[in-house]
Amino acid sequence: MARFLAGRLLMGLLAILATTVAVTLLIHLVPGDPVQIMYAQSQGTTPEQLAEMRHMLGLDRPILEQWLRFVLHLLHGDLGVTIRGQQPVAQLILQRLPNTLALAAASMAIATAIGLPVGFAAAWWRGRWADTALMTVAIAGVSVPHFWLGLILMSVFAVQLEWLPVGGTGWAGLVLPAATLGLSNAAIVARMTRSAMIEVMSQDFVRTAYAKGLLRALVLRRHVLRAGLVPVVTMMAMQFAYMMGGAIVVENIFAWNGIGRLAIEAIFQRDYPVIQGFILVFATTVITVSILLDLLYAVLDPRIRVRG
Amino acid sequence: MATGIAGSFWRRLRRNPGGVFGLLVLGLLVGTAALADWIAPYAPTRMGAGHRLTPPSLAHWFGTDEFGRDVLSRVIYGSRLTLLVGAIAVGISLVAGLAVGLTAAYCGGWTERLLMRASDVLFSFTETLIALACVAVLGPSLENAMLAVGLAGIPFYARTCYAAALVECGKPYFEALISAGAGHLRLITLHLLPNVLPTMSVVATLGLSGAVLAAAGLSFLGLGAQPPASEWGAMLSSARELINRAPWLMLFPGGAIALTVLGCNLLGDAIREAMDGRGRT
Repeated sequence: MARFLAGRLLMGLLAILATTVAVTLLIHLVPGDPVQIMYAQSQGTTPEQLAEMRHMLGLDRPILEQWLRFVLHLLHGDLGVTIRGQQPVAQLILQRLPNTLALAAASMAIATAIGLPVGFAAAWWRGRWADTALMTVAIAGVSVPHFWLGLILMSVFAVQLEWLPVGGTGWAGLVLPAATLGLSNAAIVARMTRSAMIEVMSQDFVRTAYAKGLLRALVLRRHVLRAGLVPVVTMMAMQFAYMMGGAIVVENIFAWNGIGRLAIEAIFQRDYPVIQGFILVFATTVITVSILLDLLYAVLDPRIRVRG
Repeated sequence: MATGIAGSFWRRLRRNPGGVFGLLVLGLLVGTAALADWIAPYAPTRMGAGHRLTPPSLAHWFGTDEFGRDVLSRVIYGSRLTLLVGAIAVGISLVAGLAVGLTAAYCGGWTERLLMRASDVLFSFTETLIALACVAVLGPSLENAMLAVGLAGIPFYARTCYAAALVECGKPYFEALISAGAGHLRLITLHLLPNVLPTMSVVATLGLSGAVLAAAGLSFLGLGAQPPASEWGAMLSSARELINRAPWLMLFPGGAIALTVLGCNLLGDAIREAMDGRGRT
């Protein structure tokens, strides 16, 4: 168990370190002069000002030194300042990160609450009309783009019925974005749950349970459900990453003030320090959550602990 | 023998209603894209083809947008961009994914570990983040969005190709070829590649839906196709601004994306089931 945990932590740290390298190189991959592009939108910058900015961003140093400085500053919680407004990037991102995490968590709760029972029901009635009907809805759900679903929900519940705000902060503002992301992903969770349950149903210990004369309902509840939930939990790590990715788009539809909206604004404004900080924070969040879920997995499934 | 396998594959595919539906949708998409000049009632960028923001009517089946452009014509021409984006993005992911996956599986050792660890890490960051990072570097445009979506897909294609190639490398025929003295290039191109292509074709069909979704998403955010391009995601983006006054504007481009993606998903599922026959219930 300790070795398993140590290995996961080491991999996570290496991945974050690799991200810092990628983020340092990112600015140099920009075709043309990044400093000029960043300031293209503000008029009347003299070559002296550009040179000063280049020096301030550290772009006139060797790349290795730039990376070391980036990591060193990162260890002090410093991600630089925004190009426009000179605000500290770390502060800006940390202010907005809770909003994105709240959206991702609420969506995941909705997706699980719908997807898990639907997937289990489909597996229970496998091959019958209920299975076909549920899975038809699920594949249609997987195919609907979440930005379209978001617009439809907004049109119906915010514009026509006026039950909820079109966008904004607070709990009322969270309902529509979370429903959009949650419903889209419920279909994916349902499909994954169904195949995980069916996989478990074909295993020897399930046949043994039947052979000793247990009722189908009892076998499904006691053996299949428990064993089938383990792979579903591991898939949650991937689901969380999807939620974070989906949040970037959905935040922009509903003007939800998370890091996704910040990132898109930064891309338009060519505010590279913000983009760098966003990528790093996004990656770190995804890695951290996946390690936490791996731990949960190990707790749920004793087989992992013994092997580890 | 080969025709027998192909024949039974087609029979199984034809018996799957989802697969047939998927084929029809893709056929419709290709047909619309090819015949757009003839079937579109108006030029897609012609302003004032009708009055501004009229609801669907006989003259304009899907209504008109804020510039009086015919939405039906724009949706029809949008199929071209969708096909183009899908094909190019999937092409980039497929070729690069094959290269990385085959190299990793064949070379083994440090090359394998480095390539696959990198793929794992990138894969866990989700395609959205990678695509956004690419667009952030390259700047917003349709071409860059295609490239970004293509690059973002590489880790997934590489992992799948690697897994398939690893199975082949362990088979007795492959060891026999090595002991018979077959060269590296011969082993990879004549033996590994043809054997992983069936798996990769399923991945590419299913990947097409992901690529179409991702590219439309980028355009929706304003990071892909730019106005006045008739791109479905970009059309949805301008429809959002008019959601109070013209709610029908968002129905058709969104429906077109959903139908295309559904078609690819159903076809991909059907091909997978027809190929291994295991998924049949």
